Amino acid sequence: MIRIEDLSVAFGDTEVVRHVDLELSGGEILGVVGESGSGKSVTALTLMGLSADTARVTTGRILFDGVTLQEAGRLRDKALYRSYQGARMSMVFQEPMTSLNPTQRAGRQVEETLRLHTKMTAGERREKVLEAFRAVGLKEPEKVYASYPHQLSGGMRQRVMIAMAVILQPELIVADEPTTALDVTIQNQIIELLRQINQNQKNAMLFITHDLNLARRLCHRIAVMKDGCVVEQGPAEEIFRNPKEEYTRKLIEAVPSRMKKRRKDGDAMENTAGSPRTKRYSAQEPGGSVSRDASEGMRPGAEGTLPGRECGQDAGGRTESPVGPVLEVRNLSVYYQDGKVSFSAGDRKNREGGKLSLRERLSGTKKEWVVSGADFQIYPGESLGLVGESGCGKTSLSKAILGMNCHIQGEIRHHSIRPQMIFQDPYSSLNPAKTIGWLLQEPLRAEGALDRTKAMTKGDMEAAAYDMLRKVGLEESYFHRRPSQLSGGQRQRVSIGQALITGPGFLVADEPVSALDVTIQAQIMELLQRLQQELHLAYLFISHDINVVYQMCDRIMIMQEGRIIEIGETEEVFSHPREDYTKLLLSNS
Amino acid sequence: MGQKDSGKWKRGIPWKRSIPYNKYFLAGLIMTGLAVALGVVGFFWTPYSTTAMSASEKFNPPSLLHIFGTDNFGRDIFSRVMKGLGTTIGISSLVVLISGSVGILLGALTGYFGGIADEIVMRITDAVNGFPSILLTLVIISLLGSGRQNVIISLGIVFVPSYVRMVRSQYLKLRDADYIRRARLLGVKDFRILFVHILPNIFSVFWVSVMIGFNNAILAESGMSYLGIGVQPPEASLGNMLSDAQGYLQAAPWYALFVGMSIVWVVLGFSLFGEGIRRGKVSE
Repeated sequence: MIRIEDLSVAFGDTEVVRHVDLELSGGEILGVVGESGSGKSVTALTLMGLSADTARVTTGRILFDGVTLQEAGRLRDKALYRSYQGARMSMVFQEPMTSLNPTQRAGRQVEETLRLHTKMTAGERREKVLEAFRAVGLKEPEKVYASYPHQLSGGMRQRVMIAMAVILQPELIVADEPTTALDVTIQNQIIELLRQINQNQKNAMLFITHDLNLARRLCHRIAVMKDGCVVEQGPAEEIFRNPKEEYTRKLIEAVPSRMKKRRKDGDAMENTAGSPRTKRYSAQEPGGSVSRDASEGMRPGAEGTLPGRECGQDAGGRTESPVGPVLEVRNLSVYYQDGKVSFSAGDRKNREGGKLSLRERLSGTKKEWVVSGADFQIYPGESLGLVGESGCGKTSLSKAILGMNCHIQGEIRHHSIRPQMIFQDPYSSLNPAKTIGWLLQEPLRAEGALDRTKAMTKGDMEAAAYDMLRKVGLEESYFHRRPSQLSGGQRQRVSIGQALITGPGFLVADEPVSALDVTIQAQIMELLQRLQQELHLAYLFISHDINVVYQMCDRIMIMQEGRIIEIGETEEVFSHPREDYTKLLLSNS
Repeated sequence: MGQKDSGKWKRGIPWKRSIPYNKYFLAGLIMTGLAVALGVVGFFWTPYSTTAMSASEKFNPPSLLHIFGTDNFGRDIFSRVMKGLGTTIGISSLVVLISGSVGILLGALTGYFGGIADEIVMRITDAVNGFPSILLTLVIISLLGSGRQNVIISLGIVFVPSYVRMVRSQYLKLRDADYIRRARLLGVKDFRILFVHILPNIFSVFWVSVMIGFNNAILAESGMSYLGIGVQPPEASLGNMLSDAQGYLQAAPWYALFVGMSIVWVVLGFSLFGEGIRRGKVSE
């Protein structure tokens, strides 16, 4: 039904799609899989007639039911496309936050498709929209109809988007990473929904994703793209069982999966053989720790006093005893001050069930508890995984541990010097105005400024920076480059280097690989594990991807709605999950 | 910045990287460069004396001897434009320097730390913004008296709020960037975060507003001299020359024409300069 023949698309002189042949018939789901920059999105946008005006079709053509939609050497026929877009072909975008207009009610936005393409009356249109909402599994369709996008959750928004896409029963639906921005459990529901729609409406579906597992579960056929070319195409299971191309094999191998042998199981386990955590923390030195009890009175302005800093001065060197944990968290709760409580709201209850205190009423603030009663330890050389969906409090917990949030109750004891963090987004975690060399030396300069005894000479710092570059697997020539000249994976390596150069012993890694392509992801995970062995590091590894955690961590914690509901050895939790929520998470990925 | 700009010869010269090579920038560079050069040369040497009067050479039209002609006292207009450029650009530079550095300091502190000081500073800038700037300068001048220094001081004060606002909004945005969070985690001191980590990242935005501020300063200085509250004759400034020329529009139209053109030239040059930087930043 849809044929893409020998399609090439170029921006200026650079071809981003090269001689792509794809075929798609009704009732079929074709997955287009590839890493960022492989040209999969450009292919889809060109098919939909939505590519930028600077993109030119240089060879080939696109056929829809025998009609040529686009051809090399011909300008895009906008009028022709308009009669197809919405009515016969539609698209679901990745970002449910931005693909709906925030100033219009959801119902109205879906209705607009009907207004443009049909002659229905207002009443009929409303009925039809409500019906579509029901069909995509939105409970209370009337309520959704009258809601603005910000009043809906990410999953609901994506359902609205899908309702919009399928309401006219188009013959072709293009879904560009429709689940990437969603939590795993929601992700699964959306995939199910797409599958159902495909079965009921018998339309052709082009499903674009970077996630091979997802493509495997949903798609009938898969096309693997690399550098603008389709390198392999075939039935989904066939591709997974016998990948013909080297690249496909590499992609499949890079996907973290529970089917595969854990990276940790090899020699790495021997390091923790004399498992410090079995011995428990019998010998802890109170002098080498800092406790911050009920710091209610602390103001946000005092945020600069990191527990690590104080600790660094007290402990006077790396004195972690081999048995003691690097971090102890006891009965920790984290809250945010919500400034929107009026004085008269006094009889409203706060989350703990009690009345608002006079103090809370006077200051006009209310505490919003995001983490409650967290209790755990991390031992040297171990990685502890923290898994949960967005909004469950993982980030708040990590910030509290690092002393970036002072609204806490409970106790955090550090036995390492100034713990560091690896951020999720490699594009915002390096200062764009500085060179890589400068960035790597800055931690040393800061350390020297805080503690004169640790000040290093310029030459020593430079040498240390070069040394760290080597350790994180970058060439020396990167020393003089700037972040804008590096790829995402390279930036993440620099990030890791910056966190490690002062030898902190304990790192918080907040989704360090989730913004990266799958092959790069595998490389970074490998690097983290190698460094862990070499430097005997402890990680608190935060992720929403339970498979990544499975590969990386010795123990895992499952978090739900601010509480740690399960904690245990990785193998143990994966094979015998205790909580229902854990089971749900495991079955969904 | 494009890959082609990362050639080896530029390595280690940080400011080279931030030069936007586009036609706006180059045109602006040439125009302002010429004006600044004339002004600087005029400071030390002019073809004719700028103060010596000569009744016989009154109102000479432009010629090879006096390319801009002569004025009502027989003084060479080109020489006086050179001096005037120097005065005007010099005053504007100092105004931008004062208001820009006070703006960076206040904007950085209020934007980064927030709190009560932020409230106070912002309300004051609101109040200053509430007055028409020319009115405010008039008030300050009437308190301090006219003259070169007082023009600089009063314009410097009047232009501070716009810089504070711009710098503050940038700091507000960047203080929560991941790389600044990381710097805090590393224990980098606040002062260093403010001026070593954040400041270089706002420069490209800052330069654009410096260029706009420069133009405003030139126009304001000219306006004040025109009104007679700025630089006093016989000292030459583009503003008071334009004010003089107004009386002789019929007798010596070239007088107003060349002085006015010089003002347009300088302002246009700095506008193009700013636009070039802005576009360079966008393409980055």
